Amino acid sequence: MKKVSFILFILFFFSYINNISAEDHSKIEITNLWISEAPKNASVLVAYATFKNNSTLPISLNNISSLLFSSIEIHKTIIKDDIASMERFSTLEIPPKSSVEFLPGDYHLMLFNPKKPMIIGSAPELLFTFSDGSKIYLEAKIKKRDINNKSHHH
Amino acid sequence: MIPSMVVLAILATSAGFYISLKQSQTKLEQNNIAEGLFWPNPKQLLEFNTTDNNGELFGLKQIEEKWSFIFFGYTNCPDICPITMSVMADTYKRIKNEYKNVQVIFVTVDPERDDTEKLNSYVSFFDSQFIGLNGSPQIKNSLTKQIGVAFYHDDKKGNYLVDHSASIFVIDPKMRLVSKLSPPHNSEEIIKKFKKIKRFIDEKS
Repeated sequence: MKKVSFILFILFFFSYINNISAEDHSKIEITNLWISEAPKNASVLVAYATFKNNSTLPISLNNISSLLFSSIEIHKTIIKDDIASMERFSTLEIPPKSSVEFLPGDYHLMLFNPKKPMIIGSAPELLFTFSDGSKIYLEAKIKKRDINNKSHHH
Repeated sequence: MIPSMVVLAILATSAGFYISLKQSQTKLEQNNIAEGLFWPNPKQLLEFNTTDNNGELFGLKQIEEKWSFIFFGYTNCPDICPITMSVMADTYKRIKNEYKNVQVIFVTVDPERDDTEKLNSYVSFFDSQFIGLNGSPQIKNSLTKQIGVAFYHDDKKGNYLVDHSASIFVIDPKMRLVSKLSPPHNSEEIIKKFKKIKRFIDEKS
């Protein structure tokens, strides 16, 4: 009897854990996370991704960290009167039932001081923390920049 | 007396009409070539001395007889600079066989952090033929000053950012600033504009 209840407990426990993670993943989804390949001694790298909020409430991206970078910040490139500048965001709200795309020439993540060279094939893990308390660990792909990608927002 | 006055008046009017027609033709021609064409009176560049990404001296002589595409940026700029440099790498790859005297120059607006080694690794990443130049404000008649490129940074603490021009400047083989290509950049457009500018300048020479 003890054995049966123990097995039931284990089954219940795993299904509970599973539900939590399924619920967390369904609220926020991060897709197409990639880092642009850069010169070997680059001090700053850039990452792009798509953040989708499936919930009915706004959720903010509050923090991004990685053991492989000294810090990671959210920025947006702005070109006005031919002058390029970057605006820094401490958090970024993803409105309910919508997506925010980080794209070249638009929103991007600045990754400072890589602790090892990031080459094609590397898969640095980034940790994203959101305002609802959820955390997502995700591996980023290092890719060559595709300049023919017409999805740049200007 | 009266007929000669009339003839004179007609001549003067015709001359005026001819000049204004010519002027509007030139304007029309310019508009057809490319926006951002500095014509007439393109700025003639003066002698300057700086160092390139190999530590070699670089001055007016190195841009003479060449078409130079110049972009001002900094290596810690993660988004707009690599986008522009990648576009220029594609542009260069597509025209270098047809136009042997084309060169691409990246001038840093952050010479404090962009030393020769960093510049070299940065420009070579995009194309081994690309040239990187030190843009120190101490350089007399630097390209940054002569071209009148705007750049700005708050302070130089920590991971500071630099606001800077996102345009690509074109210098002709006579060392004249003939055009400014405004963003957003794409290689097909740059090649089209370059061919038009080159044809126009060649005809004027």
